[in-house]
Amino acid sequence: MKRFALVGVSVAAGFTGAAMLFATAQGANDPSAYRQLNLFEDAFERVRVNYVRPVDDNQLVSAAIQGMVSSLDPHSSYMDAKAFADMQIQTSGQFAGLGIEVTMEDGLVKVISPIDDTPAAKAGIKTGDFIAAVDGTPIQGMALDDAIAKMRGTEGTKVTITVLRTGTKKPFDVTLTRAIVQVDNVKFHRDGDVGYIRLPSFNEQTDAGLEHAVRELKHQIGPGLKGYVLDLRNNPGGLLDQAVEVSDDFLNAGEIVSTRGRHPDDSSRYDAKPGDVTDGKPVIVLVNGGTASAAEIVAGALQDEKRATVVGMTSFGKGSVQTIIPLGQNGGALRLTTARYYTPSGHSIQALGITPDVAVAQGDEDTTPKIERPTEADLPGHLNGESGPKKQPAQIIHAAPGKKYDDFQLSYALDLLRGKTTVSSIAKPTDTN
Amino acid sequence: MKRYALSGICIAVGFCAGLALLSVAHGADSDSQSAYQALDRFGQAFAVVRARYVEAPDERLMVENALNGMITSLDPHSSYFDPKTYADMQVKTEGQYGGLGLVIAADNGTIKIVAPMDDTPASKAGIKAGDIILAVDGKGLQGLNLDKVQELLRGAAGTKVTLTIMRGPDDKSFEVKLERAAIEVEAVKSHREGDVGYIRIPAFNEHTSEGLEAAVRSLKKQIGPKLKGYIVDLRDDGGGVLDQAIAVSDDFLDSGEIVSTRGRSPQDTERWDAKPGDIAEGKPVIVLINGGTASASEIVAGALRDHKRAITLGITSFGKGSVQTIIPLNGGEDVALHLTTARYYTPSGGSIQATGIAPDIAVAQGDEASDLPKVEEPSEADLPHHLMAEDNGTRSTVAPIRPPAGSKIADFQLSYALDVMNGKIKADSFVRIAHAN
Repeated sequence: MKRFALVGVSVAAGFTGAAMLFATAQGANDPSAYRQLNLFEDAFERVRVNYVRPVDDNQLVSAAIQGMVSSLDPHSSYMDAKAFADMQIQTSGQFAGLGIEVTMEDGLVKVISPIDDTPAAKAGIKTGDFIAAVDGTPIQGMALDDAIAKMRGTEGTKVTITVLRTGTKKPFDVTLTRAIVQVDNVKFHRDGDVGYIRLPSFNEQTDAGLEHAVRELKHQIGPGLKGYVLDLRNNPGGLLDQAVEVSDDFLNAGEIVSTRGRHPDDSSRYDAKPGDVTDGKPVIVLVNGGTASAAEIVAGALQDEKRATVVGMTSFGKGSVQTIIPLGQNGGALRLTTARYYTPSGHSIQALGITPDVAVAQGDEDTTPKIERPTEADLPGHLNGESGPKKQPAQIIHAAPGKKYDDFQLSYALDLLRGKTTVSSIAKPTDTN
Repeated sequence: MKRYALSGICIAVGFCAGLALLSVAHGADSDSQSAYQALDRFGQAFAVVRARYVEAPDERLMVENALNGMITSLDPHSSYFDPKTYADMQVKTEGQYGGLGLVIAADNGTIKIVAPMDDTPASKAGIKAGDIILAVDGKGLQGLNLDKVQELLRGAAGTKVTLTIMRGPDDKSFEVKLERAAIEVEAVKSHREGDVGYIRIPAFNEHTSEGLEAAVRSLKKQIGPKLKGYIVDLRDDGGGVLDQAIAVSDDFLDSGEIVSTRGRSPQDTERWDAKPGDIAEGKPVIVLINGGTASASEIVAGALRDHKRAITLGITSFGKGSVQTIIPLNGGEDVALHLTTARYYTPSGGSIQATGIAPDIAVAQGDEASDLPKVEEPSEADLPHHLMAEDNGTRSTVAPIRPPAGSKIADFQLSYALDVMNGKIKADSFVRIAHAN
């Protein structure tokens, strides 16, 4: 069973049971559900017969399921068959394509940047190029998703794109061979004697990527290695499994996270297995208001088990688990909130977030001690937290006035690891609420 | 059978047929097969949510949200009526309710009277704008929202209610006993403009054609034999009951088709003809329209224009040429669908869906955006998922006549219409230009 914490969980084993549940819902022992289904059936029939033009049964039902599920909370939704397939590509963390980040501009696909080491980069596709056609089909009038779908395909197949480039008078064709493209790779580099590791999201490649990064950093830095900075800022989450494995990489024993739902399938507890890939070296986890879901599981587990110091700003506060539940053949799937998750100390972070051990503002936020980004507690229809309002740290550290940092939170974390007195910062009292 | 062109039609007679149709859908043909599979998918989704959602869901709410999602995906005018919306809609289309005639607003946690309506129990009892209602029948209003207070104030005509009112600088409170009466909403209004009768129709509810007939009688009496003609103001009239649009058109027409509707099911396909008799006795009529003229009011404008019974003046209308039917569900208990079931066609056979009625004389009010000739207000063609026009109709793009710079005329369209009626402007010269699209 695969589990996602933000993007959803579990291509649910054991859900052939759905048809049975339906029968149960229609059973005489549950008159209320039966009445509600009847009401729906009645409406469905009337639309089919009386609507001004013929309607597609499947579209009607898709809209109905979407209406039903998306009104439950901001993270529950319905994916039709196509959206379901797209989601699988996204969570697998890889697909066969050209390796360009794109956007739509003036009805054409514009290249934001070619990804290193991909067919697009090797063929000399540049930032700012426009793609006017794919295999001779004009892009004009196409939705971005459809244009992307045309560029993706099976590994090894060829595709010809027509490129418009500023300074080049005529559009020209480039033929590329599709290759596997990794998205949201784990990134890392040494910063002196500290290993810096950035996890942009949690997909199927994340844990492997982290272990690779740690091995490489050990090799590069050698025995003088002081510790690690694990950057989870703006990491919106992803697969729960991967969050559990990443936490386990740093922990020898104890609980990582537990989930509790109404259905027995949705309640489970995950424990760490012996073994710490970092050999017990100090770890600082960076968080901010964009740290959500799976990323909060990691931050919460390492904080509660006192394995890491959490530095930054209070995280988003998404403590609910979504399960992907397919609906029959080509029926798409529900992305349904089925559980809340709890950190080892037993706290639900739903709508509360992870409060950093050391609150450090990035510097572009120094006039507002509040968290600037929208948090779960701001989303309409959000699930309530179970234990009081979101906490703000009592004190937030800001960069000293006049000092310029590219990344003050990271600089602060590096100073902490190296045991420097952080003279470059001043503590300012802020409102507590 | 009641029919609405904007807010819906027909507390559907013949709809016990629904269950029979339902069983057909479970039959063997491929169409029904697809319906059955689709329904089954919904059943699965419903069961999964019931069993696995993190909190026990409210089944009634689940299905309401499903119906909402399904119906609103069809077009901008189809919707699902929950019990409250359904009840409110009935009050609205009946054009009257039992009440006191108070316009109220919530103000800092109190309920404040914005204004008493003319000729209602409230105004007769001397209730004033700015009064604060403390209690209704001795019951304090603390913590009640506006809708709940509205409910307390309304009731059958003839029933009594006691209000506790606080007024004035010394905040004295006193009690007033009132008897509820039928309150007219959006009634037809009229007055004379010299020798011209001006009639304003703000919406089409069940009392509209009565109101029009009364207005014409009263104007004839006021103006006498020198009456030159009528201006029927349908600007910003969002429509309403289809029956009433037909009755209003018929008031001015002696014969011929008024409107026809065409849908997929036979009961949604119909044609209405005028009966002999013209209450305006053939006097000239100018119909004022603008981008807010929609649905039932476009039927009237279209019918009178196509029969050359009236000149339309103003700017191109909204373009809502679809008909909604109110279909009660679950044996009519308390919920209903408000479903688009037909398009309507003017006598000349044009569907006005998304194209609107182009005025014979295009006249801008002067307070719209400066980049005319586009229609300024949101029109049907701007709404997401709107039904397409059938005949590739395009909206009129004639440059309208605009008030001269620095003009202080409060209502340029009306003043232009009066000039046309009074012969100060020759209409014919403009008709030609306005049709050149």
